[in-house]
Amino acid sequence: MLVPMAKVRILGHKDCLDQTLAALRGLGVVQIERAAGEEPPLPAMALDAGRLRQREQDRTLLTRLQTLLAALPAPGDESAPSPAPDLAALAQELDAVEPQIRRLVQQRDALEAERLSLPRYLAVLESLLPLAAELPDLVGYETVALLIERRARHVIDLLDDLLTELTQRRHVVIAAPLDRDTYGALVVFPRAVATEVHALLGRQEVTRVQLPPTLAGKPLRQAIAECERRMNEIPGELAELSHQLAALAGAHRARWRAAVDLLAARIEQTEIIEHLSETQFAFVLVGWAPARAVPELTRVLAEQVGPSVVVEELPLTERERHRAPVLLENAPPVRPFERLVRLLALPQPGALDPSALMALVMPLFMGMMIGDVAYGLLIVAITGTIARRARAGSVWRDLALILCGGGLWAILFGFLYGEFLGTLGPAIGLHPLWRAREDAATLVSLFVLAIAIGATHVILGLLLGIGQAWRKRAFARRQAWQEIEERLGRLIGLIALFVLVAVAARQLPQALLTPAAAALLVGLVILARASWPLGALMAPVEMLGVVGNVLSYLRLAAIGLSSVYLALVGNELAGLVGNLWLGIVIATLFHALNLALAAFSPTIHALRLHYVEFFTKFYEEGGVPFRPFGQKS
Amino acid sequence: MDGGLLAIGAGLAVGITALGTGYAQGKIGSAGMGAMVEKPELAGRVLLLVAIPETMVILGFAVAAMILLVLGGRG
Repeated sequence: MLVPMAKVRILGHKDCLDQTLAALRGLGVVQIERAAGEEPPLPAMALDAGRLRQREQDRTLLTRLQTLLAALPAPGDESAPSPAPDLAALAQELDAVEPQIRRLVQQRDALEAERLSLPRYLAVLESLLPLAAELPDLVGYETVALLIERRARHVIDLLDDLLTELTQRRHVVIAAPLDRDTYGALVVFPRAVATEVHALLGRQEVTRVQLPPTLAGKPLRQAIAECERRMNEIPGELAELSHQLAALAGAHRARWRAAVDLLAARIEQTEIIEHLSETQFAFVLVGWAPARAVPELTRVLAEQVGPSVVVEELPLTERERHRAPVLLENAPPVRPFERLVRLLALPQPGALDPSALMALVMPLFMGMMIGDVAYGLLIVAITGTIARRARAGSVWRDLALILCGGGLWAILFGFLYGEFLGTLGPAIGLHPLWRAREDAATLVSLFVLAIAIGATHVILGLLLGIGQAWRKRAFARRQAWQEIEERLGRLIGLIALFVLVAVAARQLPQALLTPAAAALLVGLVILARASWPLGALMAPVEMLGVVGNVLSYLRLAAIGLSSVYLALVGNELAGLVGNLWLGIVIATLFHALNLALAAFSPTIHALRLHYVEFFTKFYEEGGVPFRPFGQKS
Repeated sequence: MDGGLLAIGAGLAVGITALGTGYAQGKIGSAGMGAMVEKPELAGRVLLLVAIPETMVILGFAVAAMILLVLGGRG
């Protein structure tokens, strides 16, 4: 449900501003709004020079700390939070330690880059080594290694001709294929013409093997040996650097993290001042708080700040009430479903929170689709374990609890359908309390059940929508009546259609035919009136849309049937192989796949039915989340 | 009624609707991923939009099941 919010105004002497903000931060129950635009109009509070300077210093210090913390390794176990250090001394501490950390990080990054690049250089050098054996030992000559794509092989001959002209035949070019795609070439030329040769190679856009400074200029064999030596040394050097960085992290990380939190809080407290307004001696703070928290807010400010601060609750118009931030609060079994509601969008203030309805219905839909005792037990066991181990409020715990609810309903529906690992129910004495899904005779009943559930869900949605629109008529009369007519028209038309279908199927007396047809016409007229004149054309289309929404619930039957048939195929195939252990392996694979699908697919489809078929009938989204001052993000 | 023709009819009912669903979901999913890169908070809406075309294949499956089980049972 949505927590009722109250708009509060806090007035106080400017001398008490910091104390007040610190108290509000500690409480964490007030979302501070910009006071500009509120009555009476007052000038916004500006930060004085002292606060501006302090804020810039804090921001600079925070950025330095965050950069250093990102560079330091994270500890394996999170140590206990440390008390915040003296911020005044922290800057000097950073001046002393920061150069050392930067140097170590740069050395580490350089070693990492060298560790990644050396194997590539080594591979190229080793592939060129056979060519080097053909080179004469010459003094005063330079060697360049080239890599050329096989399709550009002709460039080597072109280079040979150009170098003949440039060096007057005082050069050697040795080329050979290195692999399927690449030719390697070694070019030896007098050092006196090195500049012209490099310029020529540049003009021809030939890729030269650029070695790092530690390897360049060395003979090929020596360069290879150097590569191998460095590749052996680098892990040890990296370990030593990591050890030094870990030691620095151990010495400083906890205190620096506490300092980051303190600085962030100080910066937030400084920046929030710009949301306030002021008179000559007083500050004015306007915000939202849960209505039930206002007495505690008054009491805490009186205790911590004193009588110089006054809290008053402002009267709200309906329009203002609809601008309040939204805070969802539900019983623990419903809380995981709040995450699914937030995934779409928060409800508007004053609107219905559908979390509780989802908590009731969504696991039922999931269970109806899974409908297998064995799958249900496995899902409950696995998700129950995850829920116990996961942190409270985490995504994993919420998802696990939602699936666990679906698993419980799956066990119940498994007894109704008599399913245990698909079609093995009868083998263990489990007979359906209702009907077996895999029987042909059950199909129509299953579809009728799914459509009946769908019709009930959609009608519930329309009724909720009418109720919501009725509450809105006091302040948005025209829109409210339009929504009432639209939803009422759909409701009447849907019920009339079902009566007509039931009469056609001889489930209801023929005497109801005329009243049902009349009711359908009335529904269409009301629907058309809601958005007249375009409604005259759109009303039948929208009525068909509602019918389509109901038919969409056939997936409750269809997905369940596909699961049963997949299990049936697995069981039949396992029985056909003629070998017990091979049959068990095959059956296990099929049932594992089916279980994974059973965990995922029904969840998505049940969610989709809520979002598309149910919520669109009443849900008013667009709420802004409640973010109180002092809440950790 | 010939069982083979029933099977073909059921296969076409599921297959063609599945093709339509897959095509629609492919287009919607790729566009949705692009939107989510810019605004991750759209994840819920993207999931919603991707799941909408599945009604087609669900109804196709329902028709196929009725062809095989109801018509096939009578035949």
